[in-house]
Amino acid sequence: MTRGTVSYIGQRLVLIAITTVLVSSIVFLLLHQIPGNAFLNETRTSPESLAANLHHYGLDLPLGQQYVNWFTGVLLHGDLGESLKNRGTFITPLLIREASVSATVGFYALIVTIGLGLLLGIVAALRQNTWVDYVASSASVVGYSIPSFVLAIFGLLLAGHYFYIWTGGTFYYVPGWGKLEQVPVPALALGLPYASYVARLTRASMLETIRTDYVRTAWAKGLRARVVVLRHALRNALIPVVTILGPLITGIITGSVVIENIFGIPGLGKEFVTSILARDYNIVIGVFTFYAALVGLANLLVDVIYPVLDPRIRY
Amino acid sequence: MAMAAVPEPDLVTAYEMPEQVSMLQDAWNRIRRNRLALVGAGIIAILFLTAIVATFWTPYPVWLQAVGPTYQGPSAAHPLGLDQAGRDILSRIMGGASITVQVGIGSAIIVSLIGIPLGLLAGFYRGAVDTTISFFINIWYGIPDLLVALILVFVLSDALHLIPRGIFVIVLAFSLTRWMDVARLVRGQALALREREFVEAARMSGARDLRIIFSHIFPNALGPIIVQATFAIPAAVLFEAFLSFLGLGLPSPMPSWGAMANDGYHGLDFAPHIALAPTIALSITLMAFNWLGDGLRDAFDPRMRR
Repeated sequence: MTRGTVSYIGQRLVLIAITTVLVSSIVFLLLHQIPGNAFLNETRTSPESLAANLHHYGLDLPLGQQYVNWFTGVLLHGDLGESLKNRGTFITPLLIREASVSATVGFYALIVTIGLGLLLGIVAALRQNTWVDYVASSASVVGYSIPSFVLAIFGLLLAGHYFYIWTGGTFYYVPGWGKLEQVPVPALALGLPYASYVARLTRASMLETIRTDYVRTAWAKGLRARVVVLRHALRNALIPVVTILGPLITGIITGSVVIENIFGIPGLGKEFVTSILARDYNIVIGVFTFYAALVGLANLLVDVIYPVLDPRIRY
Repeated sequence: MAMAAVPEPDLVTAYEMPEQVSMLQDAWNRIRRNRLALVGAGIIAILFLTAIVATFWTPYPVWLQAVGPTYQGPSAAHPLGLDQAGRDILSRIMGGASITVQVGIGSAIIVSLIGIPLGLLAGFYRGAVDTTISFFINIWYGIPDLLVALILVFVLSDALHLIPRGIFVIVLAFSLTRWMDVARLVRGQALALREREFVEAARMSGARDLRIIFSHIFPNALGPIIVQATFAIPAAVLFEAFLSFLGLGLPSPMPSWGAMANDGYHGLDFAPHIALAPTIALSITLMAFNWLGDGLRDAFDPRMRR
């Protein structure tokens, strides 16, 4: 870590903070245009209880004051407020708990994406124009167009219905979340479309790299195939793949919203949709702020990995 | 004089001039040899045809319930079966094609309308204009675009009641969060093209900035713009399906493929056809647009020429 890298990371963190605050401020201000909007759907709300509700959440204050309260709460205490529908539920601990659930699924999806994608891409490139290549390439050409929620539905149908005898529906009907056997189907559904994309990209860049002189030299020196492929060729072939890691992580986060709803996973994505449908504005803003920060940090992480692979890039 | 001895007309006959081909013709020649792209174009043609037919005629009205037993599988009268409310799925798939085409084309147009001028301005004027526009592009890249679009649809239609929930608000939300792909690309093109000789020549002959931008730089950047706009279509279609699947997109009787997939997902174990029909239609559509987009990209990018 040079001083340049540290100051670069510092700058990026400031930019992420600004972006996060900016977009969530816009959402906050838009959603607070109509005071008490969140309570309007409830049946038989007397004016007194509505006023009490508004007062409890500070929604009877002027918009500017509300905004300042929210802003200082988020920035100084990391406090995202209280649920409008379930009074007493504070949002920050709720979201941190849910984020850990989402992280499990996201992590395995990322493993599927990168592991399977790299494997297919490398094998296809090394066996170019053989049946292995054709199978892998056609699978990825089809795979990256099939949205993850479609794969999830197919996965449910296969694992939960046709192969019920084997799976016993463990991934779905068991209450609670966190067992390892619940992970594979959602993680595969979430990861496969991106895995196809990574495979296509890896194949193309691998084909380019294995034709370069330095790889030919490595072969000529009599190095073992594993060393040539993994240490010489792959390292350079990875560079274009790393460039799409940022959008890829964003895609997995976005995709998790729908996957979590299909499989009933109690994570951030499910909370996001549930709170939107329930008009629990405080949670909507909270989850959104969380997501914006998360995507920013993921992108930063990718940019930090980049110079490790390609020493020509320095910050 | 020695100069006069040079036989001028012979130059033309002595060297065989390369055939003059316009950019679009050249692209067409190359895409004709790309089988996947042609298959994609064929599927898209069928989709458009279905969409046009569906605006005038479907076997049953898309909203009509109880045309037969609910959850009934495919039969002669209803080739794709009936859904949980006894609606004819074939009719709804056709209606969904029409929605898909409107969302896709509408988004491609609006994304281009926002992205092209911004990109051209940034690339042509550079300096402060570029810095400002690029700053917004970079900020926009750091946010989860689909989730912002989702929030936008929710805020505009449900919270503020500004625009009724429908195709337009979805297209608008998508375009407002996805314009920077086009803008960034056009900016790069404009940055490169503004240094070229024909732009210099235009400036020498007294053309004003706007004329240089729109009749010299823009036409030469058209190829990559078409490619980028083509890729915006499947992204928009997917976004609409994603929203409608979650119940946040088009309102209920509208035959969105995403909403139909959600209908079917609840009865997956005993009536899988309800979910399978729209998801397969959606996947094939996305695949076709991606294949065509890849083909167009290869056709318009001379470096990829084999």
